[in-house]
Amino acid sequence: MASSLENLETQLEMFIENVRQIHIIVSDFQPQSQNVLNQKLQALVHGLQEVDKLKSQVQDVAVPLEVFDYIDQGRNPQLYTKDCIEKALAKNEQVKGKIDAYRKFKANMLVELNRTFPAELNKYRALRGDE
Amino acid sequence: MMGDQFRKVEQYSPKSSPRGGRSPVVSRQDSSGTLKTTILLGKNPSIVPSGPFYLMKEPPGESELTGATNLMAYYGLEHSYSKFSGKKLKEQLSSFLPTLPGVIDSPGQQDNSSLRSVIEKPPIGGKDLLPLTSIQLDGFRLHPGPLPEQYRYTNSTPIKNKHKNKHKKHKHKEGGVPNQETTIADTSGDTHEKKHKKQKRHDEDKERKKRKKEKKRKKQKHSPEHSGGLTPSQHTSS
Repeated sequence: MASSLENLETQLEMFIENVRQIHIIVSDFQPQSQNVLNQKLQALVHGLQEVDKLKSQVQDVAVPLEVFDYIDQGRNPQLYTKDCIEKALAKNEQVKGKIDAYRKFKANMLVELNRTFPAELNKYRALRGDE
Repeated sequence: MMGDQFRKVEQYSPKSSPRGGRSPVVSRQDSSGTLKTTILLGKNPSIVPSGPFYLMKEPPGESELTGATNLMAYYGLEHSYSKFSGKKLKEQLSSFLPTLPGVIDSPGQQDNSSLRSVIEKPPIGGKDLLPLTSIQLDGFRLHPGPLPEQYRYTNSTPIKNKHKNKHKKHKHKEGGVPNQETTIADTSGDTHEKKHKKQKRHDEDKERKKRKKEKKRKKQKHSPEHSGGLTPSQHTSS
């Protein structure tokens, strides 16, 4: 997986670099540059073919749609990852707190019930198989 | 007979029952199977719970993975967490893709380059990508000369962006908005200078005191009260 992503990244970088070079050639065009430009245009098609070939290798990569919003707004997509991690951690802590609170509550309740209804609680425990 | 009985009950049933129009007397099926009661009719009607415990339900099955475990550690994401939580990330997209030429920090909707639009209106695909023929390449035959002014604005940005990383620090030093690093460096330089000055002053003071002491010693030597020995203060200082 990592290698296929790296391949795609390399191909895209090469493609972008090719486009950049075409931009430089055409921005102040010289007649002798026509051949170079033609080569670059063919390289552009070749680059697209290479990217197209790699699409089958990255079919199972899932990208959250929210990341696209970040990129479209010109924001660093790592901020999304950071937000997700922070939210997940906060939720994890929250749920752990709830679980711990319920555990304490259960323990306290059993103590109190045992004090008030010892016989019933013994029956209850026997039924539950908690003994 | 049964109908009459229910009608009677309905008369006394509360109008604003939390269960709506349902009367509390009408028997309901217990879906949980835990509410087992025996109703005894006769002279002294009574309801006796025959099940083990009223409202006793099976506890939910325990799952192996709950929120009680540190999920960050469980999924091996601690490294990612420490990577992102520690440092302050730069807001711009160009800081994530520093080698990408062009203006990429502006909203994609402005120049119709948003990724959303690719999802909403997928490009026409399914056709083979073939190299351009010589006839097709004729369409790219260009006139010599520079680009018109309106197309040149993006020309400067790629190069600037391309070398942005390499000359980052240098750029900020030359002018414009100083970044944190430079300010830190500047302030540390200031403090160093201050310290140096302080040290110098301290040295001067020391020398002055030394000279004073020597003068005093000379005076004491020539004075009649001079005992010849060192005073305790002189002893400790020398």
